[in-house]
Amino acid sequence: MNYDICIVGSGAGASPVAYSLAKAGAKVLVLEKGPWLTEKEFYKDELAISLRNVYNPKLEDEQHVIEEQYQYDNGETYWQGEATSESGWSFWNGTVVGGSSNFMSGYFHRLKPIDFRLKSTFGVIDGANVEDWPISYHDLEPYYAQVERDVGVSGKTVDHPNQEPRSTDFIYPPLAEHAISSWIDKAAKLIGYHAIPVPRAILSKPAMGRKSCEYSGYCSSYGCASGAKGSGRAALLNHAVAGGNCVIKPQSKVYKIATDSKGKISGILYYDGRGRKQTATAKIYVVACQAIETSRLLLASTGEKFPKGLANNNGQVGKNLVFSAGGTGSGDFNYNELSEQQVNELKQVGPFINRSLQDWYQINDKNFNGANSKGIAKGGTIDFLFHQNPVARAGGSQWGVDENENDQLVWGEQLKQNLKKEFTTYKTLRFEVFNDWLPNDDCFVSLDNDITDKWGDAVAKVRIGYHNHDLKVGEYLSKKAEKLLTAMGAKNVSSSVSGYPPSNLMAGGCRFGDDPKTSVLNKNCQAHEVDNLFITDGSFMPTGGSVPYTFTIYANAFRVADHIKQKLQLS
Amino acid sequence: MKFISSFFDKNYQTPSWLTNKLSKKNLSRRKMLKGTLKSAGGATVVAALPFSAWSTAPLSLPEQLKSDPWLTLDSVLNHLLPTSKTGPGAKEIQATTYLFNLVNLQPTEQDEIDFIYKGVGWLNGYSQSQLQKNFVELAVQDKETLLRGISQSRAGQNWLNTLLGYIIEATLTPPVYGGNANQIGWQWLEHQGGFPLPSEGTRFYEVPNQQSRVAVDTVGKTAKNIDVVNLVASRQLPKNKGKKS
Repeated sequence: MNYDICIVGSGAGASPVAYSLAKAGAKVLVLEKGPWLTEKEFYKDELAISLRNVYNPKLEDEQHVIEEQYQYDNGETYWQGEATSESGWSFWNGTVVGGSSNFMSGYFHRLKPIDFRLKSTFGVIDGANVEDWPISYHDLEPYYAQVERDVGVSGKTVDHPNQEPRSTDFIYPPLAEHAISSWIDKAAKLIGYHAIPVPRAILSKPAMGRKSCEYSGYCSSYGCASGAKGSGRAALLNHAVAGGNCVIKPQSKVYKIATDSKGKISGILYYDGRGRKQTATAKIYVVACQAIETSRLLLASTGEKFPKGLANNNGQVGKNLVFSAGGTGSGDFNYNELSEQQVNELKQVGPFINRSLQDWYQINDKNFNGANSKGIAKGGTIDFLFHQNPVARAGGSQWGVDENENDQLVWGEQLKQNLKKEFTTYKTLRFEVFNDWLPNDDCFVSLDNDITDKWGDAVAKVRIGYHNHDLKVGEYLSKKAEKLLTAMGAKNVSSSVSGYPPSNLMAGGCRFGDDPKTSVLNKNCQAHEVDNLFITDGSFMPTGGSVPYTFTIYANAFRVADHIKQKLQLS
Repeated sequence: MKFISSFFDKNYQTPSWLTNKLSKKNLSRRKMLKGTLKSAGGATVVAALPFSAWSTAPLSLPEQLKSDPWLTLDSVLNHLLPTSKTGPGAKEIQATTYLFNLVNLQPTEQDEIDFIYKGVGWLNGYSQSQLQKNFVELAVQDKETLLRGISQSRAGQNWLNTLLGYIIEATLTPPVYGGNANQIGWQWLEHQGGFPLPSEGTRFYEVPNQQSRVAVDTVGKTAKNIDVVNLVASRQLPKNKGKKS
């Protein structure tokens, strides 16, 4: 079989390329390591989604090594790796057709013009490797609009101080809102904040062969049983396959991209579902396995012309990995302090909160002591949410303290009281803060020398160093969010900001730029060193912006797809 | 692990499957800078986990309940979450059924199953040494005293915490897993479950093509996907019809 395009991975970075190219008449092959599940296999099952983590590899089979910084007694620091099969800290986010987009919350905020030029706007920050993007918001804007249309984003535009320019309005109206959204709006107005609606990649009405949202109340991190959530599988790959030009091979684990003596890609080597070695060839190759695994694959793909890994003769592959900085916080609403109507409103399950704050997307506050002495800095986004998982909520109910304040197990009537109190006397409103994870020399992907996956290939080793500036921004934003919760009447208001990366929000590692010495990809996400290699997941991002990544990954992949179409002279 | 004869054996160490579970829950407590030097390259790759038999559960639970370990486990669970006017107990929730399925149907690590079973022996050993009776024969107050006693040991605390954790799962997971009978746990705690819920055939360990289950009869269940692949791969691909994209 002669394919025009072979894509490694099937998530948010891969599916727009498969969709666009198949639609334009190219023959597309998609290789996905995980199984091909559909709406019929997704249930609201806490065991499946989190407690037993069914949609990801067992860490004993496939894992990562995470390098953290430690300190000797004399104050010297050093980096030490720990295998995730030992720590239990999974960095897998959905090993199935459609990838992690099946399990995303779908908070689809666009980047803003300023995100494309952080360095020229805010200047150099010591210890950070900030670079401007080689493209502008203007270049990406039409593709955000395309995602809103083709993947399906529900929302509405309101005027607010940090609203980014838009060429089109939302096609799909906002999803049904929870009563607490109006509580947020009221309190925000009172204290001078602008609470804005959150666009979601969830259909509010049936379209494109998919059903609309059924409001089960279990959305974030769950696979969607109605097809309303705009996963790459439901929104794009299904159409690509139905059109006849796209073949998806699930359970195909790519382990190497082979190159010939001239440095040209000669084929993609993979294990099929039965563990047999196979080779796929095409005119153009696209890699989109999520940031860590994309860098790992390139580093593992050594060849005569690429002794340090594919497209890595300048040593840039794996470097400048970024996560999302920030933190989380919460406040409790105690039922005994509220009217019956308020309690009933709070107890509602199903509709979405869909509120965020972007008043401090740029911080301009002389009380903020960041890198810039005038208190000017890139800020971020605050989103609000409820947690629904009951077993997680009950966790810890079996613990109390004895008379000496030591932890002690409780059971019997005490356990029953603890559970009853936990579930029936209050509800917690949570927030999440998203701000830039500054790229730095201590956050990168390499190959581990000791640990291999179940096929015998070296696993990725990830160093997770962060820049202290990220914590300052995260704390600044968290305090702003806490103020809103307090204004709403919440109790036990608190937040937690740390340098630990959220393992589901990753980008970078193969950043794009105009200079091959400091970037892996050119502005079209084509490898500087390999003519027919493109990378379309979040790896391309030199800086990550202060919103979740999926929307921008989708938009950029549509942009790159247009470029590949031109290259193949398809209309 | 060395042979451990009781909850109070000094050689007992919290088993790795359990520390692993606990560390997953406590990631937020992890400290960035730690004072101790860890051995370099000390990581080992654990061999593929053995699974309990999927479809060959030996006897039904009612049969098993007549003797140990299930006789004692049932009694312990009923003591830990007693039936009372404050709400349903382990009995109404069917926590023992949940635990039985956990052992026999869910892909639970054999080490963990062994630990649950060993605890029964340790508990009855302790019960015999203290009161010359097996646990199930004791009055409620004696059961309480005995369980408080073993909870003072690390092994006893780990064992009880394991059972309490599964009582909570039994109370709050979808009924198809054996607990939360007729959603009694959700009703008691005024929790609204989601939809659609899994049913027999779609429990988490029956999801087709799970990587951990590649070797287990998945061929029939993947047929739909294979069909699509074959269909598309063998079909004459249409020429570009000039669609705008």
